[in-house]
Amino acid sequence: MKHLLFIMAMCIGLLPIYTNAQDSKPIIAKDLFGDLSARHIGPALMSGRINDMEVHPTNPRIIYAGTAGGGVWKSNNAGTTFNPIFDDYCQSIGAVEIDPNNPDKVIYVGTGETWTRNSVSVGDGLYKSTDGGTNWKKLGFDKSERIANIIVNPNNSDEVYVAVLGALWSDSDERGVYKSLDAGATWSKVLYVDESTGCADLAMDPNNPDILYASMWEFRRTGWSFNSGGDKSALYKSIDGGKSWNKIHNGFPEGKLGRLAIAVAPSDSNILYTVIEAEKDSKKGLYRSDDAGKSWKQLNNDFGLTVRPFYFSRIVVDPRNPDVVVKGGLSGSISRDGGKTFKGLGRMHADIHDIVFDINDSDRMYVGTDGGVYRSWNGGTTMEIVENLPLSQFYHISVDNEEPYNIYGGLQDNGSWYGPSTSSGGINARDWNSIGGGDGFRVLRHPTKKIIYSEMQGAANVWRYDVENKLIKTVQPLPKKGHAKLRFNWNPPMAVSEHQPDRFYMGSQFLHKSEDMGDTWTIISPDLTTNDKSKQNQEGSGGLSMDNSGAENHTTIFTIAESPFDENVIWVGTDDGNVQVTTNGGKTWTNTIANVSGVPANTWVYHIEASVHDKATAYAVFEGHTTGDMTPYTYKTTDYGKTWTNIISDDVVGFVRNIQEDYVNPDLLYLGTEFGLYITLNGGKSWSKFTKNMPSVAVHFIDLQKRTNDLVMGTHGRGIIIIDDISPLREISPEIMSKKVHFFTSKPTVMKDQSGFSGNFGAETQFVGRNPSKAAQIKYLLPKRHTFGKMTLEIQDMDGKKIASLGPGKSKGINIVNWNYTIKQPKVAKGKTFSFGGFTSPRVKAGIYKAVLTKGKETFEHNFELVYDEHSGLSSQDRELKYDTTMKMYNMTQDLAYLVYELDAVLDVVTNKNKKIVASLNDLKETLVITTGDNYVGSAEPQLREKMADLYSKIANSYDKPSNAELDNLSIIEERFNKAKTDFAKLKKKARLKDFKIKTFEEFLKD
Amino acid sequence: MKTLKLVLVALVFSFTTHINAQTADEIINTYFENIGGLENLKKIEGMKMTAKVNNGGMEIPLEIYQFKDGKQLTIINFQGKELKQGVFDGETLWGHNFMTMKAEKNDAETTANMKLNSNDFPDPFIDYKEKGYNVELLGNETIDGTETFKIKLTKEPITVDGVEEADVSFYFFDVDNFVPIAVQTEIKSGQGKGMTLEITFSDYQEVEGLYFPFSMTRGVKGQPRSPITMTSIELNPVVDDAEFEFPEETETVPTDDNKN
Repeated sequence: MKHLLFIMAMCIGLLPIYTNAQDSKPIIAKDLFGDLSARHIGPALMSGRINDMEVHPTNPRIIYAGTAGGGVWKSNNAGTTFNPIFDDYCQSIGAVEIDPNNPDKVIYVGTGETWTRNSVSVGDGLYKSTDGGTNWKKLGFDKSERIANIIVNPNNSDEVYVAVLGALWSDSDERGVYKSLDAGATWSKVLYVDESTGCADLAMDPNNPDILYASMWEFRRTGWSFNSGGDKSALYKSIDGGKSWNKIHNGFPEGKLGRLAIAVAPSDSNILYTVIEAEKDSKKGLYRSDDAGKSWKQLNNDFGLTVRPFYFSRIVVDPRNPDVVVKGGLSGSISRDGGKTFKGLGRMHADIHDIVFDINDSDRMYVGTDGGVYRSWNGGTTMEIVENLPLSQFYHISVDNEEPYNIYGGLQDNGSWYGPSTSSGGINARDWNSIGGGDGFRVLRHPTKKIIYSEMQGAANVWRYDVENKLIKTVQPLPKKGHAKLRFNWNPPMAVSEHQPDRFYMGSQFLHKSEDMGDTWTIISPDLTTNDKSKQNQEGSGGLSMDNSGAENHTTIFTIAESPFDENVIWVGTDDGNVQVTTNGGKTWTNTIANVSGVPANTWVYHIEASVHDKATAYAVFEGHTTGDMTPYTYKTTDYGKTWTNIISDDVVGFVRNIQEDYVNPDLLYLGTEFGLYITLNGGKSWSKFTKNMPSVAVHFIDLQKRTNDLVMGTHGRGIIIIDDISPLREISPEIMSKKVHFFTSKPTVMKDQSGFSGNFGAETQFVGRNPSKAAQIKYLLPKRHTFGKMTLEIQDMDGKKIASLGPGKSKGINIVNWNYTIKQPKVAKGKTFSFGGFTSPRVKAGIYKAVLTKGKETFEHNFELVYDEHSGLSSQDRELKYDTTMKMYNMTQDLAYLVYELDAVLDVVTNKNKKIVASLNDLKETLVITTGDNYVGSAEPQLREKMADLYSKIANSYDKPSNAELDNLSIIEERFNKAKTDFAKLKKKARLKDFKIKTFEEFLKD
Repeated sequence: MKTLKLVLVALVFSFTTHINAQTADEIINTYFENIGGLENLKKIEGMKMTAKVNNGGMEIPLEIYQFKDGKQLTIINFQGKELKQGVFDGETLWGHNFMTMKAEKNDAETTANMKLNSNDFPDPFIDYKEKGYNVELLGNETIDGTETFKIKLTKEPITVDGVEEADVSFYFFDVDNFVPIAVQTEIKSGQGKGMTLEITFSDYQEVEGLYFPFSMTRGVKGQPRSPITMTSIELNPVVDDAEFEFPEETETVPTDDNKN
C-alpha cells in the first residue's frame, strides 16, 4: 500500500510543479518531438561516396564502411547488407579501425573524410566504442577536421597511433602523428611538420609494431583554388615506435612532393609501395622498395596510378601475396606482377577510394567508390554493388505538388533524379527517374507544366526536360555580345517564379532572367559579385597536379530568391559574400552586406530565403567553412536588408547550409547544418536538434511541402529524409504545455482507395524507403510521459458508441496514434482451418468521429473527420450500397459463427443418444465449415463459411461498389445460409433438448 | 492528511534522488522497492498475461504464460483456433506451424539460447550477480522526452549462427520513479539482424501488491511500433504441464543429449 501511495504521489505530485516551472523556462523542443520521426527514402541505387573500408581480423562476415557523408555502416553478412552504427555523431568519416586484440568489442572511428575534393565535409574528432559499435565515446581531436588512419598495435591494445591530416582550408597545428599508451585516454604528438602539412597516410610493419611509415602532405584548399604539394611533403620512417623519424627518399624524384601513399606488404614487410605526386609527370606514380624503405625504384606512371592524387591515393597489398597490388583511382587498378603493370578493376561506379581483401580468400574484395560499396568474388574482375546503402549526397532538393508529391534533386557525381514520396510496397530503387547527367545540383519543377529543369557542374548543361513527351533540350544562358565571360559556380543557382510560371532565373556573376523557360535570356543585373580577379585563376589550381575541373570557380552568384509577395523583389547571394536586393525587378540593386555585422568579409552566402509572411523579410545563411570558419551564421531582415539580426543561438553546432521558414507560424524555422537538423519554436531565440531517426548528417537543403506539411531534407550522405506533417509544431506554446492533454488540430483524413501492386522482388537486399502512414492520425501532446496507471484510447461515433480501441502513445510531447478507419474483424465460425477472408476489417463510413482518451479517471475528447477518396469516383448512393452490403456480409459472417457455435453445443449434448441426429448435424456442419485439411496446399473444398467470408472480403477490399456479379453471388450464399438456418432449427427441435443453455449472441461476440 | 504528508515526502525524496549520483545497484534496488519489493517479486511462481495486439486493423488476442522454472507459452486465438507459439517446457522450444497448424520444434540454437533465459523470471535483474550477469550504469539518456538512467545488462553469451556472441541489453529507468520505460537490444538473427529492437513500457498497474507494465510497444528503433495492451495479469496461474509438452506426431529418432 505504501508503494501505491508513493507512486501515486509521484504521478500526481510532479505535475503542478512541472507546469509552474513553465512560466520561467523556455520550452525545450527537444523533449517534445515525441512521435515526430524522420523517415528515410534513399535513394540507394546510386549510393554515395565511401572513404574507408575495414575488415574484421578474424570474422569474415563482418565488414565496415566508413562513408564520406553517411556515417559508419556495418555488415554482418559478408557485405550483402549493411546497417548504420554511428548515427548520433558526425557522419563524415576518415578512418575506421578495429582493435585486432579485441575485434568484437573495440572500434575506433576517426571523423572527417580525407579525399579532399571541393565538396568534402568536416570531422569533429576521434571516437571509440568498447561494445562493438552500440555506444560511442569521444576521445578528443576536436579540431582535427580529418583523420586519415588509426592503427592499434596488434600485440598491445593500449598502444594506438592516429594520423591526423588536419584542416583543409586553414592553418592548424592539430596535425601529424599522435600516439597513445593508454588506449586513447591521453595522446602525445610524435610527428609534426608545420601548420599546413598533415599526415596523409600511416602504416605499421605487421611484424614489428615499432616500425612506422608516415606520409606527410603539404596541402591547402580555398573557395577558388587548390594546392597539393610543397617542400614539406615527405615520407618518414620510425623504428622506435614514433620517438624519432627519418625521411626515406633514396630513389625519390627531386623537388617538391605532393600526396604520397604508403603500404607495407603484410606477407613480407621488407616490401613497401608508395605512390608519389611529383613535379615532373615522368617521375610520378608507383615506387617500390624491397629493403623496407632504404631504396626505392619507380615502376609505373600510368594514368590510373597518377590521376588526381588528392582524391585517389590508396594502395592496398594482397595480405597473402606481396606482388598483388591494388590502387584507388578513376576506375581502380590492379597489378599481379609486383607493380610493374596494371589493369583496370572490373566495371563499377567511377572514383575508387579504398579496397579491402577478405581475410581468408583474396578472390573476395570489397571496394569503396563514389557510388557506394562493391563486392567482387573473382579477384576484382566482376564487381557487384551493395544495394542497401542509402548514402546519396544531395546538393539541393525541391518538391512539386503532385499526388503523391515528388522530390527532385542533384547528387555529387551521380546526376539528377526525381522520385515519389510514397509508392506501392515502399519507395524502391525502380521508383527513381534519372533526369540529368554529370554531377547533379539544383533541380526544379516548372510550377504548372510537367517540365523539369536540371543542370550539371558549372551550368555546362542546363536541361529542360518535358516529362510527358520525353523531350530534352539544353537552355543554359550563353555568352552574349557586350558582356564579360560568364562565371558560373560549380553548383549554379536557378529559380522559378510563383508569379510567372514560365519565368526561369539563372545566376552567373549576373542574374539572368527568361520569360520563356530558358529559350530567351535577359541579363537583369550588373556583376553582383566582388569580381575579385585574384579568385578567378582556376587554371592554376591543383598544385603539382593541375586540377581545373571547374569545381573552384568563384566570384559567382550562389543563391536566388524571388519574393512570393512581389515579383520585383529579388534577393541574390554570392559565394564571395554579397547580399544583393532589388525591389524593382532588377533595375537597381543594393548590396546590403555592410549592414550585416559579425560575419567576416567575403563569407559565402549559401542561401537566401524570401519570407512567405512579409514582403520586406528575408533570411540569409552565411557559410565560412572554406576559410576554416566553422561558425553557424544565419541572419534575418525585416526591412529589405537595411538591418540584419543574428538568429543563431548557442544551441547550434556546425555551420549552416540552409534555412526553411514555416508557412504558417513565422516563429517556427528549420535549420540545415553540417551536423543535422535544428528547429526553433521562437524565431531563433533557442534551437533544438531534431534527433528522432535523424542522423547528424549534413543537411544541404530543406523544403516544406505545402499540402502535406512534410519537411523534406536533401542530405549530403543519407539521401532524402522526410518528417511527415510537422503541423503539430505550429501549435506548441506554454499555454498548451500547461494542459493535461492537448489534441492537435488535423485536416480531414482521406480514406485512401488508391492502391497498387508492389512486386517485392529484390527487397531482401535492396534499400526500400518507408512510406508515410495512410491512417487517420490522432495527435496529442502530453506534458509528461504516462508511465503509471491505465491509459486508453477509443474511437467512438458521435453517439458515444465504441468503434475501435487503439493503443495510445505515452511519450512526453507529441504522440501520434494511427487508426486505419476500420472496425474489428468479424467473429468467424470455428473450423478446422482459417477462413482468410474473415481476417478483413471493414472500413467505417465517412463522417465525424470522436477520439476519447482516458487517463486514470479523466477523459479527454477530440473530434476528427474522415472523408472519402474522390479518385474512385463513387456517388454517395454507391458508397451507401458498398457499406450496407459489406456490413450485411459482416453480420452474416458473425451469424454463421454463432450458428456453428450453437450446432457444436447441440452436438456436445446429443452425442451417442441419437445417432441419426448426430449424423445429420455433422452432415450439416460439413456444409458450413471446413472440417479437414490445412491452410496451404492441403486445404479442403471451401464450404459456406469460406464462400461467405471470401465474398465479404472481396467487397470490403474493393474500392468500388459491389458489382452485379458479386450481388448475384451474395444471393446464392444468402439462400444457402437461410436453408442452413432452417435445417438447423429442424434438427434442434428433433433433438428435444432439455435445459440447453448456451451463450447469447452478444456474449458469444464478446468472448 | 496522511496522504498529503506522503505526497510531500515523496516529492522531496524524488528530488533528492534526482540530484544524487546513482549507482546501478541503487537504481535497481529502488526499482524493486518501488514496484513492490524484491522479496515479493521473488515469491512469484508464474504469470498469465492476457493481451491484445492490433495488426493493421486486425485485433489478435494473446495469452502469455511464464513460469519461474523457465516454462513459457503464448496462445494466439485466430477464429476460435488456438495456436501455440514460443512454447518451452524447459528443454524443448516449439510452436504451431501456421499452414499445417501442427507443432514443430525450433532449431537447436534458438532453443539453447532460450534455455539460458530460464533463470530470468520474473525479472533478469533479480540476483543478477549470483547469475553471473554484469550490470553497468552508462549515464543518462532521454527516451520519450523523459530523462532516464541507461543501464547495460550483460547475460550469458548466446550462440548466433554457430558463433558465440554477448547477450547485451540496455534498460532505460525513468529518473523520477526508477521503473524501466524502455529496453533496447540488437537483433541477432533474421532479416533485421544488426538493427536495434526497442520495447517500451507504460501503464504500470498493481497486481497483488506488485506493479507491472500493462502496455508495451515493440519495433525496430526509429520505425513505427506496434502496441501490445494487457487486459489482465494473473499471478501464479495453474497450468497443466501437458500444455508445454511437445506433441510427438512422428516417430523421431531419440536425440542423444550427451552428444552435445
